[in-house]
Amino acid sequence: MALLEVKNIHKSFGGVKAIQDFSLEANPGEIHGIIGPNGAGKTTIFNVISGVYAADQGSVTLDSKNITKMEQHMITREGMGRTFQNIRLFKGLNVLENVLCAFDPQSKYSIVGGLLPTPKRRSEEKRGREICEHFLEMVGMTAFLNERPENLAYGMQRRVEIARALTCNPKVLLLDEPAAGLNPTEVAELTELIQRLSKEIGFAILLIEHRLELVMSISHQIHVQNFGKTIAVGTPAEVQHNPEVIEAYLGKEE
Amino acid sequence: MALYLSIFTQILITIVAVSGVYVLTGLTGMFSLGQAAFMAVGSYASGILVVKLGVPFPLACVLAVIIAVAIGYVVGFPTVRLRRDYISLVTLGFGEAITALLNRATKLTGGASGFIGIPKKTTFLMALLSAIAAIALVSWFKTSKYGRQCIAVRSDELAAKAMGINVPKVKMTAFLFSVAVTAFSGCLYAFYITYVDPTIFGWKKSADWVIMVFFGGVNSLTGSVAGAFILSGLPELLRSLDQYRSIIYAILVLLIINFKPSGIFGEWELTFGNLKKLGSRRSRKALKEGKN
Repeated sequence: MALLEVKNIHKSFGGVKAIQDFSLEANPGEIHGIIGPNGAGKTTIFNVISGVYAADQGSVTLDSKNITKMEQHMITREGMGRTFQNIRLFKGLNVLENVLCAFDPQSKYSIVGGLLPTPKRRSEEKRGREICEHFLEMVGMTAFLNERPENLAYGMQRRVEIARALTCNPKVLLLDEPAAGLNPTEVAELTELIQRLSKEIGFAILLIEHRLELVMSISHQIHVQNFGKTIAVGTPAEVQHNPEVIEAYLGKEE
Repeated sequence: MALYLSIFTQILITIVAVSGVYVLTGLTGMFSLGQAAFMAVGSYASGILVVKLGVPFPLACVLAVIIAVAIGYVVGFPTVRLRRDYISLVTLGFGEAITALLNRATKLTGGASGFIGIPKKTTFLMALLSAIAAIALVSWFKTSKYGRQCIAVRSDELAAKAMGINVPKVKMTAFLFSVAVTAFSGCLYAFYITYVDPTIFGWKKSADWVIMVFFGGVNSLTGSVAGAFILSGLPELLRSLDQYRSIIYAILVLLIINFKPSGIFGEWELTFGNLKKLGSRRSRKALKEGKN
């Protein structure tokens, strides 16, 4: 059984069929790209998998556990990490604290430790700090621990968001347009980072992306979406030559 | 002297209440327009326990806080699942309901003519120690995982959930903590003034507290305490202007929102580290100006 199994999910908003019959199987170490024009329902797929919306039909199974109807925060705790298309870091917290927020649900001290500086609180906070600093080091943000995220460049904010998602100990990592708004150098760095994380941590990665050079170079499998439907699935080479995909992207030849 | 001591004691009691409001409004971003009702619960519960049932004062305070938290749980349970703007409405309704209830339950509360004969137990020292304790607890809460999660929830609920944060639980924790602190300030208040009546705990008081939090800085406990100190101290010192209090408050709020939306202190907190930084920045600036 695959690590992540998405089976025939459907999702409509009123009359808009955002997802029709989407299926996907992902295993540790794999990178799956999801591409398609704007409004193809890509982010909705992520939102259904991570529990923001419940699927109308179909099921999502993570590590042989059915997570289709679970609450969003419980799905995260089962091992689902994600980043957002429009960066959603927490305002009012610095870089380290932002990442710590993803550790806090795993932190083991009670409300007594929340009100008083107990030894248990101190040791748990220290453990969290070490874990978060480790992940921030992985994405190369160690120099900015005490910086406010809003003062950082876009590319750096993305890295902080990835570190925050890593702190959730994900078995599956969902990256929603991680290269949006990045310059070519930053895209190259990001590509390298995603590949390194995939090798070092060995989770499954699902990647929504418009930058085709990025998706095509690192994905093992690509799903092409258009108007909520999957129009092609396959390796980057297969997908690139699929006439339906060419039509969706470039239009039909007259 | 006695007058100033009395004013100062009342300011300290307000500071206790406002540090509770800070947890809810400042830290978690929930607006309660019924927070004063929990002060009323604290006041009346402790008063009734001592006067009618002969419970010793310290135990009565503990019991009153527990009662308030229990009521807070019942109010909070449906409320924390609502969208933020609805929370103000529910708490407003709850607060007014409590006031009405206190007015009607004449036998127990003395009704509209107030609850009299509470012994004077709160001293200046007790109020001072309570304020210090409240500020310490709230600042420890702020820097704990609970405080961090509160800030995360205030900033972005969806992202918070995606990080595994149980949003309703975090809101509930913040709500109950703030209720406990506010109820305790009610105990102090009742046993200082020795008389309480329902009208002083209406939504206007809750709104005053929210204004104090905003005035000082919605993201800073230091600011909230300073806001409470200044805004509850001013009307006491300028008694003759008491009629104009609401007008002065309104003007202050408008000025703050227009010119410094994050409040006087912004996010700045009074800590040794920050004081040092401020000191070194000042001296550097002085040095620079000296050179020029």
